[in-house]
Amino acid sequence: MSTTTGKAAQPAKVQAGPGTTSPAAGPKGSRRRRKSSMGVQNMAGWLFSTPFLVLFLVFMAVPIIATLVMSFTDFGLRNVTHPLDANFIGFENYTKLFSDEKFLKSLFNTAYFVVVGVPLTILLGLVVAVLLNNGIDRARTFFRVGFYAPVVTTIVAVAVVWRFVLDPSDGLVAGLFSEVGLTAPDFLGSEKLAMPSMIAMAVWRNLGTVMVLFIAGLQAIPTEVREAARLDGANIWQEFKGITVPLLRPTLLYATVITTIGYLNVFEEPFVMTQGGPSDSTLTVSLNMYREGFNFFHMGYASAMAYVLFVVIMGITVLQLRLLKDNTK
Amino acid sequence: MSRTARNASTGIGIAVVLALGLTACGSSGGEDVAADKKQTLTVWAMGAEGEKLADVAKVYEKANPNITVKVTPVGWDVAHQKLVSAAAAGTMPDVAQMGGSYMGEFSELGVLEPVDTKTFQKKDFFPAGWKQGEVDGQAYGVPWYVDTRVLYYRTDLAEKAGITKAPTNWKEMQDLATAYQKKADTKWGLSIQPSGLDTVQNFYSFLYSAGGEIVNDKGEAVIDSPEAVKALKEYGSYFDKGLSNKSVQPGYDVVKDFGNGRVPMFFGGPWHVTLLNEGQPQIKGKWAVANVPADKSSTSMAGGSSLVISKDSEHKAAATQFIKYLTDTKGQADWYERTKDLPANTAAWTSGDLADDADLQIFKKQMDTAKSSPSLPNLSEITDKVDQAIAKVTQGKASAEDALKTAQSEIEGLVK
Repeated sequence: MSTTTGKAAQPAKVQAGPGTTSPAAGPKGSRRRRKSSMGVQNMAGWLFSTPFLVLFLVFMAVPIIATLVMSFTDFGLRNVTHPLDANFIGFENYTKLFSDEKFLKSLFNTAYFVVVGVPLTILLGLVVAVLLNNGIDRARTFFRVGFYAPVVTTIVAVAVVWRFVLDPSDGLVAGLFSEVGLTAPDFLGSEKLAMPSMIAMAVWRNLGTVMVLFIAGLQAIPTEVREAARLDGANIWQEFKGITVPLLRPTLLYATVITTIGYLNVFEEPFVMTQGGPSDSTLTVSLNMYREGFNFFHMGYASAMAYVLFVVIMGITVLQLRLLKDNTK
Repeated sequence: MSRTARNASTGIGIAVVLALGLTACGSSGGEDVAADKKQTLTVWAMGAEGEKLADVAKVYEKANPNITVKVTPVGWDVAHQKLVSAAAAGTMPDVAQMGGSYMGEFSELGVLEPVDTKTFQKKDFFPAGWKQGEVDGQAYGVPWYVDTRVLYYRTDLAEKAGITKAPTNWKEMQDLATAYQKKADTKWGLSIQPSGLDTVQNFYSFLYSAGGEIVNDKGEAVIDSPEAVKALKEYGSYFDKGLSNKSVQPGYDVVKDFGNGRVPMFFGGPWHVTLLNEGQPQIKGKWAVANVPADKSSTSMAGGSSLVISKDSEHKAAATQFIKYLTDTKGQADWYERTKDLPANTAAWTSGDLADDADLQIFKKQMDTAKSSPSLPNLSEITDKVDQAIAKVTQGKASAEDALKTAQSEIEGLVK
């Protein structure tokens, strides 16, 4: 195709390009050059962001705004084909929500799930992370994978396993109960026990995410600090309290916030395990919203629910960021 | 953590955008192409039917070379949502399979073409099958196949319990359930669903046999009638007496427990015959089917699917011919051979397996009197109220009277 000299000459020429021209061009030339290259850079930036921006607009921004608009209408089944026939009804959906017993119950259930589930997840995640970071040396990878496996397992597989574990007649737990001569309670079939069982499952399932965050945080703590503390005679507990926890604070904050947001949205667990039952005792806001929207086609009402949930999540997140932020800085 | 929940809220949004953006281009209608012109028919069918229909389509294409049939199988779990999105976007297929419970909804959406009653006649089909495709007296769907629930029971265990004939009324059924538990050592007496989505499907055999209904022909809520109360009391008594399991998780499959003898009786559809023969061969010959035990009558629920033509289709003539092919006597018998779905066309029952098999005659007899749910746009919301009433009774939290009174007042607000 080309001669050896041609090949060698080309890279040399290119390399020489910027080096030789810029001093010769003087200040004016270089400014102009920078300006135009900035324009190109800008263009390139926009070009590279376009796929994301288009997707974001089409699948996030537009639906978010459409949902807000819809939450002020009586959008129902008929409006799926005749959207413009939907009537604006002001805040009616919102006022109706707060006299809707079912919604209030789902709000309560979600709060229950978060208030019990989040501290448990964070605490156990931290304990597991610390243990895996210090204690077991040889089987560390094995245990890390073991604790992380539930995170990447699909909910349906998880549901099958947990149904077997909790089955009141021939499940794993029932077997343990009968070993000691007791009858196992009906975990998912009892109104009192269904939610705690669901929380246990969710904690088990989400522990891994939090654990990974904490392990990363723990490994970012410089060993010098620990060594210095040990030289000063700190015991393990003092080291944990005085060094690990304060230095983990940013991780702790992040883990708490994302876990809370995730749990406020909880949907899959009750959807697959109980369908919200028995007697709505595991009906969460997200599941309630899904049913109103897609089973009954109360789209306007479901949208209002989505926005109430959004405001609640926003409020709680802001509150957490304020409360848990490092105030000493 | 909860990606689906976020998707749900986004999904609602997307539905609107689609609706706002695409109806304009969808509803153009357009001219109808004559049946003998070269054309492609698009057909959506669900689950197992979707897969088997492609074979039938190939046979049809050979006989009708001008027509290409493009069958898209759609999973039952996504079928409803997919059809609604298609309706919103104006991209419905020419022909679609639809469950009876969808009919009210989609006629409300205005996307269904009324059935050409010169080509398809009511008298050729089971009354309940035909009624499923009707909304306010207007037919929108041609019955394709039907199903109904009958009583499956273990004959070997019944013998052990000292009973040799199938129960024919409510009392005999409860006696048998008790005998199974006491003398044949089964865990439960009868498997019926205590609560949750679609519990009403198990309750229908009781409700209809007692002469009750949820909504009557005039469109009035009648779920607190004395007949309905009686039916729910009977239903609830199985849980009171410990004959039925109060706690059944979503997705429970009765077939395995029927096979191992923990559950000796359940109400099942025609597909359970295949499931039992293939999945539990060890009990072959040890079980039988019987008509739903009667109160005033032996009346079961009717289910099944109809075939509809989209209002926007440009191939209505060809679509009609294709549906005719699928629902005439020959097509229906062929379909039974392929799928074991019960023919909706009564004439198809007079030859071959369908006429000879004793079990199938039980289904036919049940089908003759079976009742379909009313075709109402908000049917799922209405039956949800009944589900809740049943749950209250089976969990011992309310009397049948009180639970149904609440359901009645709620349903009154939902029917116009």
